[in-house]
Amino acid sequence: MKPQLKSLYDYYVIDRTHRSLRTPCGIDFSAEFSALGLDPAERMCRRFERVTAMELPRILPDEQIVLTRSVSEIGDIFTEEEWKKIRAEHYVHESGYVSNLSPDYEGMIRDGFDARYGDADAHQRRMMDAIAALCDRYREEAERMGREDVAMVLSRVPRKGARNFREALQFFRILHFSLWLEGDYHNTVGRFDQYIYPYYKKDRDAGVYTKEEAFDLLCDFFLSFNKDSDMYFGQQQGDNGQSMVLGGTDIDGNDCYNELSELCLLASGELKLIDPKINLRVNKNTPLEVYEAGSRLTKAGLGFPQYSNDDVVIEGLEKMGYAREDAVNYVVAACWEFIIPGVGDDIANIGALNLPLAVDKTLRAHGAACADFESFFAEVKKEIRAECDRIGENIHDVYFVPSPFMDLLRKGRKYRNFGVHGCGVASAADALAAIKKHVYDEKTLSVSQLIDAMDHNFENDPVLLHKLRYESPKMGCEGGESAADMSVRVLDAFSEALSGRTNCLGGHWRAGTGTAMFYLWHAAELGATADGRRNGEPFGTNFSPSLFAKTEGPVTVVEHFTAADMEKTLNGGPLTLEFASSMFSEEDSIRKLAMLIKYFISRRGHQLQLNAVNPERMREAQRDPDAYRQLVVRIWGWSAYFVELDKPFQDHVIARQEYSL
Amino acid sequence: MKGLIFDIKQFSVNDGEGIRETVFFKGCPLRCIWCHNPEGLLPSPELYERREGCLSCGLCRVPCEHEECRGYGRCLHICPQNLLREVGRYYEAEELAERLLSQKAFLDATGGGVTLSGGEPLLQADFCTALLSLLKGRLHLAIETSGYAPHADFVRVISLCDFVMMDLKLMDEEAHRRYTGVSNQSILENARWLKESGIPFVFRTPLIPGITDTEENLSSIAAFAGNSPVELLPYNPLAGAKYASVHRTYTGPSEKADGRIPELSVFENVRLRKK
Repeated sequence: MKPQLKSLYDYYVIDRTHRSLRTPCGIDFSAEFSALGLDPAERMCRRFERVTAMELPRILPDEQIVLTRSVSEIGDIFTEEEWKKIRAEHYVHESGYVSNLSPDYEGMIRDGFDARYGDADAHQRRMMDAIAALCDRYREEAERMGREDVAMVLSRVPRKGARNFREALQFFRILHFSLWLEGDYHNTVGRFDQYIYPYYKKDRDAGVYTKEEAFDLLCDFFLSFNKDSDMYFGQQQGDNGQSMVLGGTDIDGNDCYNELSELCLLASGELKLIDPKINLRVNKNTPLEVYEAGSRLTKAGLGFPQYSNDDVVIEGLEKMGYAREDAVNYVVAACWEFIIPGVGDDIANIGALNLPLAVDKTLRAHGAACADFESFFAEVKKEIRAECDRIGENIHDVYFVPSPFMDLLRKGRKYRNFGVHGCGVASAADALAAIKKHVYDEKTLSVSQLIDAMDHNFENDPVLLHKLRYESPKMGCEGGESAADMSVRVLDAFSEALSGRTNCLGGHWRAGTGTAMFYLWHAAELGATADGRRNGEPFGTNFSPSLFAKTEGPVTVVEHFTAADMEKTLNGGPLTLEFASSMFSEEDSIRKLAMLIKYFISRRGHQLQLNAVNPERMREAQRDPDAYRQLVVRIWGWSAYFVELDKPFQDHVIARQEYSL
Repeated sequence: MKGLIFDIKQFSVNDGEGIRETVFFKGCPLRCIWCHNPEGLLPSPELYERREGCLSCGLCRVPCEHEECRGYGRCLHICPQNLLREVGRYYEAEELAERLLSQKAFLDATGGGVTLSGGEPLLQADFCTALLSLLKGRLHLAIETSGYAPHADFVRVISLCDFVMMDLKLMDEEAHRRYTGVSNQSILENARWLKESGIPFVFRTPLIPGITDTEENLSSIAAFAGNSPVELLPYNPLAGAKYASVHRTYTGPSEKADGRIPELSVFENVRLRKK
């Protein structure tokens, strides 16, 4: 790390000095707005104006990309009473503010505020004025400090469109800052290496930057995602949706991986920060070198990049009704949900289906009455369908808080589909394989004996526990083919149950393989299960083997988790593989890991996420958090500082199976 | 023809070119004090018992009816923590070949193949010959061997391999006896043959602190190897980790390697593997 960058890194990441300099906002917006009887859009606009006016410009000596929040603890625009009323009349998704969108940064960075003024509504104009005024104050501060470079950039953006790499990066920062300030969350980054590339290439061709100098600027820019992120709190610290998507194909099938994509991978590996979250789009023709570059980043231990397979995702999105020109432009939302920049308005995480619960309920209600496994599975399908009905019934009259600034970065709302996570696929598939084998095929176990043992958490039947838990088919394990077959059937049933439905916004429903935090929550809704899972044990995250499955190795895992046709369950949710960090010591193993990823893609896996883990370090970090403040781990769709997580999430990461080589 | 195997490991990256599927043969005539695979020593199935996580529930001590549990005095099918298993499984050559060939698409795609390891594969030379004959020309075949075997066995098995990784541990015969339990005479005879065989190979030397990593031993190995490739393997300080599980006691060096980089200049063609 260069000394200039190191001083910024120390300030923002290690010492976090800027956080202590923040001033709490101190205004009770909701009470004030409520008393005035303001409409929601006016409230959003007015809060934005007021907070922006309070913001104090602060520029560090070597900082190139500026804008750091100085005002914290900004109150809601609605009172609790008002929220109660809204919630009584509407389905409110999560906090009610817009989230998980991929804004059209590209157009705004190109055009600038002035060019949009004519088409903007009154609120949007006021918000653009407010943020432009803040940028003016930053410019004045830069001039006062003798920072001509910063002042020059801010004399151009955001009012006018960016002309070069630096202006484009600064403009992005202004827009991203504004979205968070507006109150929108999980504000993703999108295909950064595509929409910024023209600026980058122009400067590189003109000799403005060497590759190394461009890299330094990019690192400075990457830091900006981490300045205020402690205020972007999701389920846990780090769950903030700042996902960046690199590479991928264009509409003609050309590979768009470029020098900027490469620099982004390198910058992430250099800084080792949890933001931005790096995704890499690949396809069956992606050269091994790209996977090697990705694997070198995996080695850094951040859980980046997450791969998605264009061959599967683009075709799958088209089959779901996305236009080809939009499908080829896909990105990921906060974690892994596939969404479309600029024109998408999907709610990709509106619900979650507890698949092991569907199996469990069916076993209890119909297991004894079914003569064979096929009739049992028919009941499972009915239960999955019924659960989808229940999810759908709850969602009507969806309400979102207006987001005038976000609307400036939308080109339309072409897609209003709802995504449902399919939680616990492996646990459900393993349970089905065990039920099929022991109850219906070999008839060595009666339904009542099984349920009785489950209800006693297997404490009355240790022989059965051992048989179900360690000697029955499991996804990812030797002899687990029947469980992999079950995963195909479960996912088919899930996608069939959702297909053909229209949601309350006129869109479709999408089935997926992500879990989000439901791998803990859904597991807690169940007692012991037929796969030998004990009461209280969580499921695997996303599309991954059960935590106690002693898998044969990553090749078998890849094969079992590519058995299903993932185009049908394409809401997103990766297979996760954990590797011992010690395996990355040799360059040769980087190449070999790259080959495994290529194999996964060639088998039409849809999404893959790899981690380099060191459980011993995590245990030490639990004992001595202060010594491990910078230890980063992957959670479900994002990475976090290990010591900032709640303990159940820490324990889950430690329990996941790692592959040593 | 049956062979006794104690593990089959997917995605090995240190056992030859590309990604390998490594088959570990059970049984070894050597008793290297630094051996990190103690479950590979005995040429018969045995009880493998992990201790960490044991609830001391006693369930495994209750007599059972399972045929395979007899002789162990323990039931293998009841541990709630899955800490007990029988290590060592007999495979028919055809069955094992079929299993390995099922990975052909992946192994070929990565430029990898199958590696026979152990234990000492050559202790089961007939089974090796049968297995390799079934795989020859269909998968890339490598072997990791101590080279301790009757010359005729060595020649017929090695001739079926595409790549050989053979240990040269200690050049002094007395030291070899002391630390591995056997003379190195047949090993050196086989190594000389290997050098002339035209089969691609590498000699490997584990760097055991104070035992094999001495200047004298490495110089002798370098002299013997000449321009043949030599790979030096750093000592694994966790070598003793599995001994208690097979009811053995580790007597190898317990100290960590001192981090000293051995003198490589004596070698003509050497590579030091990173940790």
